[in-house]
Amino acid sequence: MKFSSRLVIVSGLFLLMFSALGIRLWFISIAQGAQSAQIVEDQTWIEIPTQAPRGEIVDRTGQLLVTSRFVPAVVVDRRFINTDQAVDLQQRLSGLLGMPVGEIQAAYDKAGINARFRLATVTTDTAYRVTEQLSDLPGVSIEKVPERVYLVGPTMAHVIGHLGFPDEADLEARPDLDLNVRIGQTGVEKVYDELLLGTNGDLALRLNRRAEVVEERPPVASVQGDTIHLSLDLQLQELVESALEQGVALSNQVKQQEKSEGIDFKHETERAAAVVLDVKTGAVLSLASYPDFDPSLFVTGVDPDTFALLQQEQAFNNLAVSGLYPPASTFKAITYVAAEEEDLPLDSPNYDSETGLVHCNGRMELPGFEEGSPQVFNDWYTGDKGWLNLHQSFEESCNIYFWTVALGTWRNYKDTDQEDIIQDWARSLGFGEATGIDLTAEASGIVPDRALFDQWKEEQVENPDEPGRLDPRRLELEDGPWVGGDLMNLAIGQGELIATPLQMAVAYSAMVNGGDVWQPYVVSEIERRDGEIVRLTEPTLLRHVDMSPTTTASLLTDLNKVVTTGTAARAFESFGPGLDQVGGKTGTGQTNANNDNHAWFAGVGPLDDPRWVVVVLIDEGGSGGRIAAPVGRYIMQYLMGVEPTPITAGEKAN
Amino acid sequence: MTLLARPDAPAAIAERRRNRPDLILLAAMIILASVGLLMIYSVTRVGLERSDLPASVSMERQMIFVAAGLIAFLVASLIDYREYSHLVPYIYGVVLFLLGVVFLFPAVKGAQRWIDLGPFQLQPSEFAKIACVIALAGVLSRPRVKLPWLVIGRVLLLVAIPGVLIFLQPDLGTMLVFGFVTLVMLFMSGLSGRQMLVLSGAAALGTFAIFRLGLVRDYQLDRLRVLLDPALDPQGIGWNLRQSRIAIGSGQLLGKGLFQGQQTNFEFVPEQGSDFIFTAVGEQLGFVGGILLVLAYALIVWRLLVIATNSRDRFGAMISVGVAAIIAFHAFINIGMTMGIMPVTGLPLPFVSSGGSSFLAFAFALGIANSVWLRRSPLPAEYRDS
Repeated sequence: MKFSSRLVIVSGLFLLMFSALGIRLWFISIAQGAQSAQIVEDQTWIEIPTQAPRGEIVDRTGQLLVTSRFVPAVVVDRRFINTDQAVDLQQRLSGLLGMPVGEIQAAYDKAGINARFRLATVTTDTAYRVTEQLSDLPGVSIEKVPERVYLVGPTMAHVIGHLGFPDEADLEARPDLDLNVRIGQTGVEKVYDELLLGTNGDLALRLNRRAEVVEERPPVASVQGDTIHLSLDLQLQELVESALEQGVALSNQVKQQEKSEGIDFKHETERAAAVVLDVKTGAVLSLASYPDFDPSLFVTGVDPDTFALLQQEQAFNNLAVSGLYPPASTFKAITYVAAEEEDLPLDSPNYDSETGLVHCNGRMELPGFEEGSPQVFNDWYTGDKGWLNLHQSFEESCNIYFWTVALGTWRNYKDTDQEDIIQDWARSLGFGEATGIDLTAEASGIVPDRALFDQWKEEQVENPDEPGRLDPRRLELEDGPWVGGDLMNLAIGQGELIATPLQMAVAYSAMVNGGDVWQPYVVSEIERRDGEIVRLTEPTLLRHVDMSPTTTASLLTDLNKVVTTGTAARAFESFGPGLDQVGGKTGTGQTNANNDNHAWFAGVGPLDDPRWVVVVLIDEGGSGGRIAAPVGRYIMQYLMGVEPTPITAGEKAN
Repeated sequence: MTLLARPDAPAAIAERRRNRPDLILLAAMIILASVGLLMIYSVTRVGLERSDLPASVSMERQMIFVAAGLIAFLVASLIDYREYSHLVPYIYGVVLFLLGVVFLFPAVKGAQRWIDLGPFQLQPSEFAKIACVIALAGVLSRPRVKLPWLVIGRVLLLVAIPGVLIFLQPDLGTMLVFGFVTLVMLFMSGLSGRQMLVLSGAAALGTFAIFRLGLVRDYQLDRLRVLLDPALDPQGIGWNLRQSRIAIGSGQLLGKGLFQGQQTNFEFVPEQGSDFIFTAVGEQLGFVGGILLVLAYALIVWRLLVIATNSRDRFGAMISVGVAAIIAFHAFINIGMTMGIMPVTGLPLPFVSSGGSSFLAFAFALGIANSVWLRRSPLPAEYRDS
């Protein structure tokens, strides 16, 4: 082959090579060009949501309780990290931040491919150290992010609530949530989370592959969440929380003293709750649960040991709305009102139909149901208080009188549509269902009646292997498991009846305000950052219960007698001026042989024109008159503008 | 050579006496160098400004190399290429020496390719390519009907010595250039079909042996793997390739305009000033710009082949063909790499990529070709019959 022929072949080869380039170039820039252009546009601009600071929370006087500040945070953007850089990066960050590598790796993996996530908020010092090494930390940047600040520590913690990362259920319900941003988990932080969150801003940045910003679009600023005005008063709250703590201490002191006298106790007193309600609106003026916790613990993540300890103490439980207790003698006010309003018939061996009085001699003997052996009902006191009417019985907390009311009702209304007349009153005053307060984990409580017992029986018969709620002997009864004794128990707030301190406060409010059952609330208004009031809480009237003014008036008079000459008289001895303007009722709730009694007190004032109701519960605190009444008195002194006197033991009374 | 075959031959000979350089060749080189300068400025200015350096400092540095390259072209044009046939042993020796010297310098990015002269890093392998072309042209300068195995053996030995040194750097891309050029030059010298088969077989066997013996580094294997399956991303190569390809594609027909490249300006593409500079061309100047660039190379290669045809002797022809092979192969591998059809190697784009050694070597090579042109056969090719 000639040189020139070979040259032609080589030229052909070169031509082929250049043609290949041309064809390939046509393919990628003409055939696929538009697509590539879009990819380029998308990947050079990244949109970064700038998190809005959560809204503030203030008390009824405008006192700032919770706010937000900006702190530096380490943000990692996986788009700028090659796979082979990840391990090295995690180790570097671990060294810089003092975080375990495992934790960083877990966060890294959880965030997912191409994700941008906040690793941790850091101190200014750490932020500087990270900034200095940014060139060795691909994909890492320092940003100012908002962080929650709780200015009053554990005060009002159960109302305010705490934050936590959204779980799967949260993300399902609210797909817009950023799983790196903590949201409200309890309390107002949770109930009003969407208002508190605010509107995130938006920052569009053009970055190079080293995550360096080369261009910015004008940012859309974030808008801080709304300001939540609580109906609670910080000063009152501090006083109430202090009172509860003192009440718990008093209870333990009394327990020790009684132990030395030979009366042993089951548990140390550890828990308590209190509610102060505005009887005319349902506004919560104070709501406290003891023990408490500091919501600050949750701002950057609570350590597991502290969490476990607090959980064991039930510090996260808001006992005022989720604690269920037998209301005991405080419930007698409801029976009292029902008896007055419905003119309930009286009937018992201790009843004298001539005088209409009941013999409160501490003991009532019944032939027993179904003609069995006689049943003896012993009252809480010993001795003979004489023949008493309703008012005197209320003041002395005579169980026998209220049993007589229950027995009369039972015997006269059994199997009629008025059989549940006392329960109906309880329900209409708010027992047996959640009040719907704007807080989390509210309990409903139970108002037992025949229908409920029948239902329990049915469940028990269907599931014989599971522990049932009813005594097995009841299942055999011909007339069903609900018996007269149950109604007798209910009339004095015992048996299966259980309620929250908040329900008790709502019921007392309705009874003293003439029958208005208000829905309690903790948030009175919501204000936007610009000062515009977005929402002013209109009090919600759940229902009006028809009550004659005379019943209300007599109840108020009798409540006053309780604190002047009755079961709470000793606790109120030191009240000072204004004692004639306050009233209350003590209660000592029994559960079972393994627990100490729960101490209750429900108070109201001023009697001329009732404005507030105070309910105090000391969980396993002992006697209501002795332990809870002094705590209630301390709070009521403050509400009446009287200097509170020390919390000392009252009379041991029901 | 026969007698004059056509009556108009004297006029053609007279025209030829006018000693005019190959202006098309020179123009194409200057156009490519200018595009290179613009692109280097375009892709380096953002980074430089961020480092508080003048935005044009990289471009200015390249301008010095371009100026030096033009002088090299001139010098090479003035030297009678036939002198090289006597100088082959010296040129070859110096290049081998320099290829040895690189191993005295520390590795840069895992490779020992450079001799650090302070302001300038000399890359001897760029010059070795040209030296080998001259050496091979020397061996193959005698026109033969058949190529004896002995000559083939000499050629292979001549290539093998610098080849091994370059393999040790390591620089697989340049080795491929050596292989391609050798094959083309042997073919031009009368390699028979059988010989070609034997050589191809030996090359395949050798390649296989190199891989089997584990002489190839992992990253080099990765570069091949990623070409077959871009979803793999060993060391981010797949990512880089994809970024490069979409950058070129995003230029579409006319490009985003000079200095408007997002991909290249924002450093989504690696080595954008040097090996990946075609990415910037594609993104900013589009399909049209890219095709014109490819055509510029085709033009240079065409001129070199024309020079080969018109060379007064086989030595000059072989040099021209060799240089054409080098430039065509560089352009093909480099542009093909940025578009994802060739493996990633460190081969620069002639006259466009930033870098002094490569510009000087290529400019000098074109200068030699021009020297062949200036001293071409008095009789145009079409008047000859052999």
